[in-house]
Amino acid sequence: MSIEINGLTKHYGATRAVDGISLVLPDEVRVLVLIGPSGGGKSTLLRLLGGLEIPTAGRIRMNGTDLPVTEEDLREFRRRNGFLFQSFNLFPHLSALENIVLPLVKVHGWTRDEAIARAGEVVARFGMADHVKKMPSELSGGQQQRIALARAMAHGPDLLLLDEPTSALDPEMKAEVLDIVAELCEAGQRIILSTHEMGFARGCADEVIFLANGQLVESGRGAALFDSPQTEVVRTFLGRVMKW
Amino acid sequence: MKYAVSLIVSVILSASFCFVIWVVATHEYRWEAITPYQGNLLSGWWMTLLISAASLVGSVAVGILLTAGQLSGHAVPSFLCRVFVEVIRGTPLLTQILIGYYLIANSIGWDSRFGVGLVILSCFSGAYLSEIFRGGVESIPKSQWLSARAIGFTGLQTYRHIVIPQAIRRVLPASAGQFANLIKDSSLLFVISVHEFTMQAREANANTYATFEAYLPLVLGYFLLTFPISLLSRHLENRFRYEH
Repeated sequence: MSIEINGLTKHYGATRAVDGISLVLPDEVRVLVLIGPSGGGKSTLLRLLGGLEIPTAGRIRMNGTDLPVTEEDLREFRRRNGFLFQSFNLFPHLSALENIVLPLVKVHGWTRDEAIARAGEVVARFGMADHVKKMPSELSGGQQQRIALARAMAHGPDLLLLDEPTSALDPEMKAEVLDIVAELCEAGQRIILSTHEMGFARGCADEVIFLANGQLVESGRGAALFDSPQTEVVRTFLGRVMKW
Repeated sequence: MKYAVSLIVSVILSASFCFVIWVVATHEYRWEAITPYQGNLLSGWWMTLLISAASLVGSVAVGILLTAGQLSGHAVPSFLCRVFVEVIRGTPLLTQILIGYYLIANSIGWDSRFGVGLVILSCFSGAYLSEIFRGGVESIPKSQWLSARAIGFTGLQTYRHIVIPQAIRRVLPASAGQFANLIKDSSLLFVISVHEFTMQAREANANTYATFEAYLPLVLGYFLLTFPISLLSRHLENRFRYEH
């Protein structure tokens, strides 16, 4: 999938969350990682790319076609993707299994039997097969994220968008979620991910972009941005987050 | 300290209960005075049951309509529903019944006391219910809407599968309270001569001057109607419980 972003801007009132980002990503970039300080525009850019927000200005092209601009067409677009937020992804009134089955049946039009079979496959892959009957409140934060990830992956999304998927987790749980994401990267899944886990970003990214104040400060192929940052902002940022 | 408080509370409450029961039980009653009115009281109780049950269904329908109107996102229906709710909640039921029957129903030539009573009670109670329902819907966190959007649910699907099932659990206790109020409020229909329970007691008292003998049956009669609602609500709360 090639992604072309041109002058992308999103304002909320006077806040310029994303402020004129342009970027061309060739097809061979399968894993794009967004890093940078909190409030720098990572989440907003992810939501724009995932069709959850409509840009104030500028445009996004994926595979040569513009992203739709009406809510209805955007919904169709979102259905082809998978999205995972930092936390509170799951529906608390549905069991882990139902959380995965319901979208397959209602959104993707599968039969219940097909959906249950598919849900069984993904939870097994993510090591959650023993927990499918549980309610979200009975799962740990890491388990909740794994179920949410299973839900985002169940329909075989073209693109998986992950918005700081481990920021709300303790280190051990971070690892159990990142292991799965790394496995998905290796399996060739197209992923756009924002994260504060620099080691993970360095290991898995085909391309890393650094955002601050809603602008693209620097981008680099593979680990290049970590090995030889070109700008002072990125050097300072990396120096700080790698220090401990 | 905790035990001391619970001991004191228990003693005070038990003593009060015993005192009340003793006072009520040791009064000298002339039950024979109202014996001839037994049949009337019973038919009044049935009438109360009937009009309350019908109004309960009616008020849920009105409540849902008013909630939908207010949450529709369209300015005009939203405003009109808001005005309706404020007027109904801000004025006495007694006046509403008088105006509804003698002015409005009369002017369109509708003479069914039961029918008019049913409509007015449904509107009155429905206005309160709509505020409870609206509060329930609005209490569902934004993260749930966002997750549902990201998955690709339509607005209606989000209500149907995500928001309403969670909101039901939250509005049950307050709705049960409102239903109990509705049953007791139906006693005001005496002003348009609906022969319900309280009106029959009133007549029995007027004819016999056996005040307590006429009115005490109301205690048991209304409690028999409201207590099952309380039990049903508890039962449903447990059925819709999703956190442990």
